Amino acid sequence: MLRPPRLLPLVCLLPALIGLAGCGDTGFLGGSWLSRRQAPPGALGAGNEQRRDPALSGDGRLLASISERQGRSSVIVQEQSSGRLLPLRHLRGHGPHRSPALSWNGRYLAVLMQQGMQTVAVVEDRLRGQLLRLPAPAGARVERLSLAPDGQTLALQLVQGGQQRVQVFDLSGLLEPDRAGGRRVSDPPP
Amino acid sequence: MSAGTATDRTWRLGAALMTTVLSGALLTGCMGAMPIPRSALNRQLEQAGGNRDPSLGERWLALIQQRGGREQVQLLDLQRQLPVPLPGLNRPDALPISVSTDANGDRMALVRQLGGRSEVVLYRRSLQSLQPIAMAPDSIPTLVNLRADGRQLAVQVSRNGLWQIDLVDLP
Repeated sequence: MLRPPRLLPLVCLLPALIGLAGCGDTGFLGGSWLSRRQAPPGALGAGNEQRRDPALSGDGRLLASISERQGRSSVIVQEQSSGRLLPLRHLRGHGPHRSPALSWNGRYLAVLMQQGMQTVAVVEDRLRGQLLRLPAPAGARVERLSLAPDGQTLALQLVQGGQQRVQVFDLSGLLEPDRAGGRRVSDPPP
Repeated sequence: MSAGTATDRTWRLGAALMTTVLSGALLTGCMGAMPIPRSALNRQLEQAGGNRDPSLGERWLALIQQRGGREQVQLLDLQRQLPVPLPGLNRPDALPISVSTDANGDRMALVRQLGGRSEVVLYRRSLQSLQPIAMAPDSIPTLVNLRADGRQLAVQVSRNGLWQIDLVDLP
């Protein structure tokens, strides 16, 4: 009498597993399935909205990005859980923006902003509702920025004399630290 | 006469002092607050050649450095101002596109071009491990941002000709 092979259930499961891997909402890493999803839309009815330059807050609550609609590039900050957009006191209407970065609890949002012919790095303190402008070194064009999670250091990618280079700046005299487990900022003060 | 001269001197001194104070205040107001350059580190970075795509942890700086005609990922310890070894991360046939580090400089995410395809990989320095992260088949990754605690990845992808952002939770 023939016995059914013991591997049969596994063989039956294989197509399902392959299908899961290709469906776009999971991936595999070191023995674990990863959850993958698309960022929530930045604006209602934003069918042709493009999103780029993502930056997560250290606590994972907030996602900053550049929303491109009808040729305009503006920085947005939204809650990951609800997709709700948070108000930005100083930056709305002052685009185009690029290369945003958030501190641990989202207190500081650093971004590059076009002002006439110049690109300047600015940091919005969402707790105090203040804006700090950081002029670029003379003769340099700013391309990208990175803010340390505690907000105490800033790195700028500059183009100077045709060469790309990175410069690092100490902000500890200008900004209070925003450390892991610190105060969460939902909305700036009225 | 001598009393008048003394008064003139006092006025001149006062006016000079006031001018200095006012000029200083005006200058400060125009320039705003100034960040302090990390001069020694910046000199070191400049001497090393072209650098791009900086990503800061709390005492770490990851970047893509041009060296000997090719680009490779570097991780600098900002306190010691020294690069740390990244065994297994850089390979001569891969072109790094975007890099991001966590706060502790342990996990690093990288978009790189290998064999004509763009891929996302996660490097763990403490384990010296490099693991690919599967992305949706219809998307081309171009930029990564790793959360400071290393537990989530935001990836800028090109999908159907549009820029979009995918979020990946990491174990």
